[in-house]
Amino acid sequence: MSEIDIKRISYLAKLKLPHEKEEFYANSLKDIIKWVDNLKMIDTSETEPLHNVTEKTTSIRNDEIIKINSVDDVLSNAPDRAQNFFKVPKVVE
Amino acid sequence: MKNSISHIKNSLRGKKISVEELYDEFFTKAKSSKTNSFNLLLDKEINIQSIKESQKRYENGNPLPLDGIPLGIKDLFCTKGIRTTASSKILSNFTPDYESFITQKLLDDGSIFIGKNNCDEFAMGSSNETSFFGPVKNPWKNKNVPTDDLVPGGSSGGSAAAVAEGTCVASMGTDTGGSIRQPASLCGIVGLKPTFGSCSRWGIVAFASSLDQAGPLTNSVEDAALILNSINKHDFNDSTSSNHVREDYLYGINDKLDQKIKIGIPSDYLKDVSGDILSQIENTKKALFKHNVEFVDVEFKTTEYALSTYYILAPAEASSNLARYDGIRYGVREEGKTLDDIYLNSRTRGFGDEVTRRILIGAYVLSAGYYDAYYRQAQKVRRLIKDDFQRIFNDVDFILTPTTPNEAFKIGDKLDPISMYKNDIYTVPTSLAGLPGISIPSGLSTNGLPLGIQFIGNYFEEKKLLQIAALAEKELNFNEQ
Amino acid sequence: MSNNWEMVIGLEVHAQLNTSSKLFSSSPNQFGSEPNENVNFIDSGMPGMLPVMNFACIEMAIKTGFALNFNINKYSVFERKNYFYPDLPQGYQISQFEFPILTEGFINIDNPDNQKKIRIERAHLEQDAGKSIHDIDPKFSFIDLNRVGTPLLEIVSYPDLSSAEEVVSYMSSLRQVLMYIDVCDGNMQEGSLRADVNLSVRHKGGELGTRCEIKNLNSFKFIRQAIEYEFKRQIDVIESGGKIEQNTMLFDTSTGETRAMRSKEFSHDYRYFPDPDLLPVNLTQDLIDKVKTLVGELPQAKLDKFIKDYNVDKDIAKIITAEKQNAILFEKMISETDVKPKFIAAWLVGDIFAFIKENNLEVSSLNEKTKEITDLLKLVSDDVISNKAGKEILPRVLNGQGNPSDIVKELGLEQVSDSGELEKIIDESLIGEEENISKFQGGSDRVLGYFVGKCLKATKGKGNPKLINKILLERLKK
Ligand SMILES: [Mg+2]
Ligand SMILES: [Zn+2]
Repeated sequence: MSEIDIKRISYLAKLKLPHEKEEFYANSLKDIIKWVDNLKMIDTSETEPLHNVTEKTTSIRNDEIIKINSVDDVLSNAPDRAQNFFKVPKVVE
Repeated sequence: MKNSISHIKNSLRGKKISVEELYDEFFTKAKSSKTNSFNLLLDKEINIQSIKESQKRYENGNPLPLDGIPLGIKDLFCTKGIRTTASSKILSNFTPDYESFITQKLLDDGSIFIGKNNCDEFAMGSSNETSFFGPVKNPWKNKNVPTDDLVPGGSSGGSAAAVAEGTCVASMGTDTGGSIRQPASLCGIVGLKPTFGSCSRWGIVAFASSLDQAGPLTNSVEDAALILNSINKHDFNDSTSSNHVREDYLYGINDKLDQKIKIGIPSDYLKDVSGDILSQIENTKKALFKHNVEFVDVEFKTTEYALSTYYILAPAEASSNLARYDGIRYGVREEGKTLDDIYLNSRTRGFGDEVTRRILIGAYVLSAGYYDAYYRQAQKVRRLIKDDFQRIFNDVDFILTPTTPNEAFKIGDKLDPISMYKNDIYTVPTSLAGLPGISIPSGLSTNGLPLGIQFIGNYFEEKKLLQIAALAEKELNFNEQ
Repeated sequence: MSNNWEMVIGLEVHAQLNTSSKLFSSSPNQFGSEPNENVNFIDSGMPGMLPVMNFACIEMAIKTGFALNFNINKYSVFERKNYFYPDLPQGYQISQFEFPILTEGFINIDNPDNQKKIRIERAHLEQDAGKSIHDIDPKFSFIDLNRVGTPLLEIVSYPDLSSAEEVVSYMSSLRQVLMYIDVCDGNMQEGSLRADVNLSVRHKGGELGTRCEIKNLNSFKFIRQAIEYEFKRQIDVIESGGKIEQNTMLFDTSTGETRAMRSKEFSHDYRYFPDPDLLPVNLTQDLIDKVKTLVGELPQAKLDKFIKDYNVDKDIAKIITAEKQNAILFEKMISETDVKPKFIAAWLVGDIFAFIKENNLEVSSLNEKTKEITDLLKLVSDDVISNKAGKEILPRVLNGQGNPSDIVKELGLEQVSDSGELEKIIDESLIGEEENISKFQGGSDRVLGYFVGKCLKATKGKGNPKLINKILLERLKK
């Protein structure tokens, strides 16, 4: 197993681990990944991945508009809003 | 049984108690409980309208199937106008404007919600110690160390503890890798996880979508059947909901088995178990033997891979399902100078340790270079596990296993995540295969703590599964022990 | 120098499907609504909300499959593309990755002197993201999620394009086809059709260079500008000893320049995996066959038909087939009259389109008036009125100010086609013209024009010129 780049993984997960916790998580992850590594022993070359035990959906919608809520319902939990927008600090490209 | 739904309904019908008195009784008890099994209790004023309507239906002689019954709801179900937190800081201020499919069905059938049950944060845990609102205490005590506070199991620990101590008649839980069956077992009650696709996931805070399944935690198998009747419905809004024909699960539940029933006991499950656990299986065999039941040894080829598979797939899905919690549109926002700071601060401070750990595992196993070795491999092994069950079900009607490898343990005892994950060894394979499983209490350990057994049935055979569980329940007679 | 260089371009075109509702929710798919008006709990990524597939999107994808010569895959899978952005409420975009619905298609584009086949690698269904508005406040951005979940078909070409002109030609051919089969409104200004341009440079015939992706171009003008700027930029970097870094570029519409979008600590890693909330899309042959009947006639087939069957000039036929609504109008007119299609086509691309343009109208708005228009064209082609008179009254007809024959009568524009009357006028006009008559008989054709003019004047312009010509010749040859 290769080293775990905890900085990169937390970047992908949008988490900013406090410095002192980076090692804690890195070690924990390493243990768990080592623990699940036994899957590599199984020959699955003939096996298709299983995404879901139900393999066929019965839900396909007709193209119809159904309004179930108001603008306010959508914004009522917003931490910050301006009129009917969600408000955030400026995104700088 | 005193706290069973049918018994309570009889009392309501017979005017021995009113719906309001019933509510007061449970509410008062819940209010003074020290188990921390509710994140939120609903004052009578909030429910008064429903209570009155329910009472009226009793007076008119046409009560609904769950009329007036005070239920607990795991705080993972979105409830309209009622705070829904998933026991996480990041959702600690969230009040949805919609009602989950399941809770709507329960309301439609007349039940009244007494409160939102504590659970592990985002349903991630097997001891209910990861909740932002603190751990739940098991109402049971180890008779040899009665001062210890024990875990109720998780993640539906608040639900299990509340039903066990009688602060609600039954509770709705969710099970991803054992989160209904395991706490039911540790608290000495009944917990049913239906077949994946039976009960809609719409409006349930998602943990691992391909595994999450709602189900009841109850005082009896009959109560489980009654609640299943309400919630087991096709839902067009859940694309993974099955549209098979549903049965009446209560009807004929106590009928005599007219056919010979064959039950498989996986020998590989029992390899290293304690005498306490082994005797649960032995007792069950003894109890059912006279009822035309044959027991056979079966052996899985995939059991040792189930936990690994689960702890890759569930975190992978969770890492993505929890990406929406960012402090932008709802939930707790931790301020920051830039947008990126808001994201980072809200998520880092909003999630607890176990959730953070699983998000990291999930991001890792999906990331470039590791996807094939971990995620895709786990999905393939998942198919092998499913096939393994199908092979065994070609031969038997049910599979009987212990529900958990141990009794309830002390809060704070299991710090290492892997030893915690191992609690789910008997429940996880069923979840991966999507099969229905029910845990019923089977006896007490030498420490006087409840232990449970699990019956696993084939896809959508909940009716049969409840019948055999009801029979075992009657024969094992746990509640009179 | 730079004439040793050539560009290699592949295009990712995002076409918004013109459904009523969104890809996975029942909210309106509508441009220009009030902020967050078209947002439901699924769109805003509320906890526990689940997607349900819109059948119309599958149907539109299949239609596109037929129109662009794709393999239509009976098995396709929606996956999650995971990344964080405020316009992306779920924290992932539902898209197709390993198993797209369409693979290996192509389209032929017209170059000035040849046709070129552009191969298309794949097309897949996915959700659009919302929009952040940055220019209202200096410190804050405002998020509007109306566009979240709008169905997109992303069409990914092979790097078969080698100039800005080809790119524009490819893009407009795609646009034309998508509009013909009614899956996209083609409105680039509103973002219904946008392109990501992947461009690299190489020495002519040499090895492929590193490519940069210029994101989200929504006009032909910007596409041209961006390609030309980026082409030069890459050459400049290489020629001054630098290296091209694989980058995502933004095109600044005010300066016409491209610049690298975000400098990132780590590269992107979208962690695609099959969406566990959705199950694979399984298409039956039955459904595919049924959708095939809905595709309708494609622009190329229409063009061929107009040229071969209707005798329309190629250039004019191209103008008419450029947009479906033109062709619809044209075909409707043909079906309602016995006037020659070629004659109608000339009028259509001439005075009729000019009128539309001047008055800022939709071509389709004339679908209601085809009867009046063809009546007018019939009067012209039957010589009841002159070409000139026809042009004069066309605006009144198009404005709905009465039917053509009434207008003609009212204005007294009917031509004199009574040969007896014309003979009288011609005979009168020849009196005293012995000198010119002998000039004509001596071989001077120019004199004929003089006589026609004189006669027309005598009829106050209403004489049928063809008839006048005919009678004059008879008289003069005597
Ligand atoms: Mg792109
Ligand atoms: Zn795209």
